Amino acid sequence: MTSHFGLMLLFGVFVSLVFALLMRDDPREQVRFGAMLFAGIVGAGVVFGWLLYALPL
Amino acid sequence: MAKRRAQPPPESPSPVIVCALAWAIPGAGHLWLGRSRTGGILLVALPLMYGVGLWLDGQLFGVDLAQPLTTLSGLADIGIGVLYFVAGFLDLGEGRVVAATYEYGNTFLVVAGLLNALVVIDAYDIAVGRK
Repeated sequence: MTSHFGLMLLFGVFVSLVFALLMRDDPREQVRFGAMLFAGIVGAGVVFGWLLYALPL
Repeated sequence: MAKRRAQPPPESPSPVIVCALAWAIPGAGHLWLGRSRTGGILLVALPLMYGVGLWLDGQLFGVDLAQPLTTLSGLADIGIGVLYFVAGFLDLGEGRVVAATYEYGNTFLVVAGLLNALVVIDAYDIAVGRK
């Protein structure tokens, strides 16, 4: 659970949950928006992770 | 033509009190305004996120004007309301810098506080009839 990826998933759940509640009123839209936001956070995290992997510091 | 502003419900409480309550206890402002589902979820989710941050050995920062970046982190931490002071009273949030999860813990703590600040603004919008 405390792996980098697991913590990113957990972070994404919390952030997308709160934003979905605040930015949409209809429960169905909240679920849809929250799922899209979660997918965006995780997808962007994976993409940036691989980009940084190619840039050794 | 000027846009008409939505009026708050006649029996709605003072926006200042709603904001203070929403800051002190995450979700309480929404609960008071009758948004029980939203308030209930926030009441569970934000303290849980804060708790995860503490569990990950994150540090609760204070307000130190000599160190502006620390002050910003401290203000974000305080955004969660009463929980910040309870955690300090219980000696939680000391932060263990050598822990692998230290920075993750800090991130969870800071973001939980900032998300609660957004919740306060949302409660204000509801209280004044903007939403």
